[in-house]
Amino acid sequence: MSDVLLQVDRVAKRFGGVQAVKSLSFELHRGEILGLLGPNGAGKTTAFNMIAGFIGPDAGRIALEGRDITGQRPWDVCKAGLARTFQLSRPFGGMSARENLVVGALVKTNDRQRSRDKADELLDFLGMSALADVDADNLTAFERRKIELGRALSTDPSLLLMDEVVAGATPQEAMTMVGLIQRVRDRGVTVLIIEHVMKVIMSLSDRVIVMHLGELIADGVPADVVSQPNVLQAYFGDDYVEAGA
Amino acid sequence: MDTYVLTYAAFNGLMVGAMLGGIALGLSLIFGVLRIVNFAHGSFLMLAMYFAFWMQKLGGIDPYLSVLIAAPLMFVLGYFVQCFVIGPLIRRERALVVEPISALLLTAGVYILIDNLALMAFGPNVRSTPSLVQVTSLMVAGFPLNTFRVVAAIAALAMAAGVSLWLARTDMGRAIRATAQNRDAAAMSGVDVPFVYNVTFGLGCAMVGVMGCLIAPFIPITPQVGLSFGIKSFIVVVLGGIGSIAGSLVGGIVIGLFESVASQFVATPTASIFSLGLFILILLVRPQGLMGRK
Amino acid sequence: MTPRFNFLAITSLLLACIALPLVLHDEFLIHSVIMVLYFGYLASSWNLMCGYVGQISFGHSVFSGVGGYASVLLLTGMGWSPWLGALVGGIAAAVLSVAIGYPTMRLRGPYFALTTIAFAEIIRIWFENTDVVFGIQLKGAEGLSVPLIGTSWAKFQFESKVPYYYIILGMLVVVMTITWLMERSRLGVCLKAIRGDRDAAESLGINPTRYTLTALAMSAFMTALGGSFYAQFIRFINPERNMGTELSIDMALMSIIGGQGTVFGPLIGALFLAPLAEITRTYLGGQFAGLHLALYGLVLIVAVLYLPKGLLHPLRQVARRAFAKLRGGDAKGPQLPVPAVLPVQGDAK
Repeated sequence: MSDVLLQVDRVAKRFGGVQAVKSLSFELHRGEILGLLGPNGAGKTTAFNMIAGFIGPDAGRIALEGRDITGQRPWDVCKAGLARTFQLSRPFGGMSARENLVVGALVKTNDRQRSRDKADELLDFLGMSALADVDADNLTAFERRKIELGRALSTDPSLLLMDEVVAGATPQEAMTMVGLIQRVRDRGVTVLIIEHVMKVIMSLSDRVIVMHLGELIADGVPADVVSQPNVLQAYFGDDYVEAGA
Repeated sequence: MDTYVLTYAAFNGLMVGAMLGGIALGLSLIFGVLRIVNFAHGSFLMLAMYFAFWMQKLGGIDPYLSVLIAAPLMFVLGYFVQCFVIGPLIRRERALVVEPISALLLTAGVYILIDNLALMAFGPNVRSTPSLVQVTSLMVAGFPLNTFRVVAAIAALAMAAGVSLWLARTDMGRAIRATAQNRDAAAMSGVDVPFVYNVTFGLGCAMVGVMGCLIAPFIPITPQVGLSFGIKSFIVVVLGGIGSIAGSLVGGIVIGLFESVASQFVATPTASIFSLGLFILILLVRPQGLMGRK
Repeated sequence: MTPRFNFLAITSLLLACIALPLVLHDEFLIHSVIMVLYFGYLASSWNLMCGYVGQISFGHSVFSGVGGYASVLLLTGMGWSPWLGALVGGIAAAVLSVAIGYPTMRLRGPYFALTTIAFAEIIRIWFENTDVVFGIQLKGAEGLSVPLIGTSWAKFQFESKVPYYYIILGMLVVVMTITWLMERSRLGVCLKAIRGDRDAAESLGINPTRYTLTALAMSAFMTALGGSFYAQFIRFINPERNMGTELSIDMALMSIIGGQGTVFGPLIGALFLAPLAEITRTYLGGQFAGLHLALYGLVLIVAVLYLPKGLLHPLRQVARRAFAKLRGGDAKGPQLPVPAVLPVQGDAK
């Protein structure tokens, strides 16, 4: 088994007159948690959506576990072993928490009982066993986020893409989520996470990459990257860097 | 094919097209602002036509004069329909997530109700409303054109221009355009969105009311006439672009020209099939139409 | 209401339906009941796709028309038994539905509905204006009749109306059973997910096109069988009646008002609306042509505004409350959903 789980090679995307992603290349190693940073408009979400199959890249190649998934639709990408969460948690209303998790589990197995068991196991992992039969519409915002995570995990992915999982969460909830993600990694799932909240990125990521205006401008350990001048400049502009220098 | 006949067909097509565009204006506006598909659009047209008929029959009032009464009446009708029938749905939609199909079903219900009430009240027989205007055809560039069609076409253009100006220059017009672009932002800027909705719907109905009176002299009036024009209006709006006034006219003219010229070569049902086919094609390939925004 | 109660209730209802012709001898009344069941069947077939996928089709009658024409033409032209003809019609309708559905499924709600109307109109106009095609007599708007060819089950013609009653009753039971099974199957779960959130469903490995087209094909097939039944029962078919917009709207309305996306909803809608139409048409039709439709429109408006989930939902609530009272407030029943404001464990404080 190769150490490289995800390989993104010179991927690019243009929307009308805007080159959202220029020529993005990076690797994701098995078992690591990679943070994807960058100011708004950097192209993070576009890159994210290209990897997840919601947008087709104009150029470049994306490979998951050596298999080419460039331009594949989301459901095929999921079957290849990639799962994602959405920025705005959207669990299936009208279905209970457990039923929400069963949907994804059915992808890999046709067995009803096995998918139910898997759903229950995930509910336990999320600490939501007591809410198994509650309609997803009646869950709190943070509970919905956890269901979002659980749903992605129910498809048995090798790679999990997470898009701003702690937006709108209290500091306490954010820390709970951080703990969950670490345990997700312990279960053998590699994680790529877009996040703005520094505390979360610093405590979670093994490595971070920073995008700015569609390009990668930094790649390394969090402590190093966040103090790099070009990263500071991307976020805060030239004046700040000059003042701080 | 004879050039004279073809050119004549083209002229007719232009006029009919402008008329269709005028009829579809209200639909386009309502869709652009309220984002609902008004299935009952044709029904309001039908009501206006019957109104012109009864004004003539009972009061001897010429349809062209009835326009002045019909417009405000239809405005009020539209205002109330929006206020009491559609409004509650939109209010509910903000609180919970309701499928946008509900608005379609609701207006479909309104259409079914109005069309059949008309059927019950007026009977299925065809009515006609002669106008006092005696000159039945004008000579334009050597072609005898039906006066009523010319008037309807010109009126449609005038109405489109007038409404465009009104939307651009007045405060209410600006409020309507703002709501069309972004409902929440408009609300936060102090626009009374429910009121804007009511006014827009009223305006849409008023416009279709004007057209109804204007076409009464030359279109046979039955309870079913609303449905066929309603469907045509949908085709026009989809073709020309939702929420675009110019688009509505352009779409109308394209359809009018197309059907008029096509009828010279194929039978009318086939022309209808082609129009419907064009409609489907546009929806699949270029849903924003020729000039639409979204 | 426990599953066992449901089972008993349904079984007794079914037995009552089976026994009905033994008590009811008036052929006219049996005809009316057959029509109600027929509408219930059509509404249920419509619901198979539209209720569960959440896309409203206003052109479904085209499938019933295809089914009807197929069975009539195969019977009069080739002597095929209507049973076989219905099957052929069903397959043809399924194929047609996929051809139409494939490019249009991704359109959003209202646009999809408009497209179905456009497609249905195109096909209906073509049928109405075509007398002969490939040597086959269609007779356009005039329609085709089914000649009397003697009574037998194979020929789908009988002395009395009672066998037709049992056939449509059987078909209704079958379509509702299929709906019930579908709900619980992988297809049903996926459709529910797609309906809930299409993007999320895609990200979970569900290809929306595959599942929605499957549901559509099933729905079209069943609708076509209904069309065949009607054509053979009335022994007449023409584009306006069997393929018209009115029939499409009826099917959709009954399912929506009864409660789309449920097993019994469409039947309840039909039980409510079809007799309404029959009564108004029979007793008031002369003076007030169109009254029953005006009432439909009114009912639709009221339903959309006040009963968005259809009649089934409040009926269920009423039944549940009545049942709870009968059981003396037994705690062992379905619970109301847990309100979001209750403190729940599992969240860090």
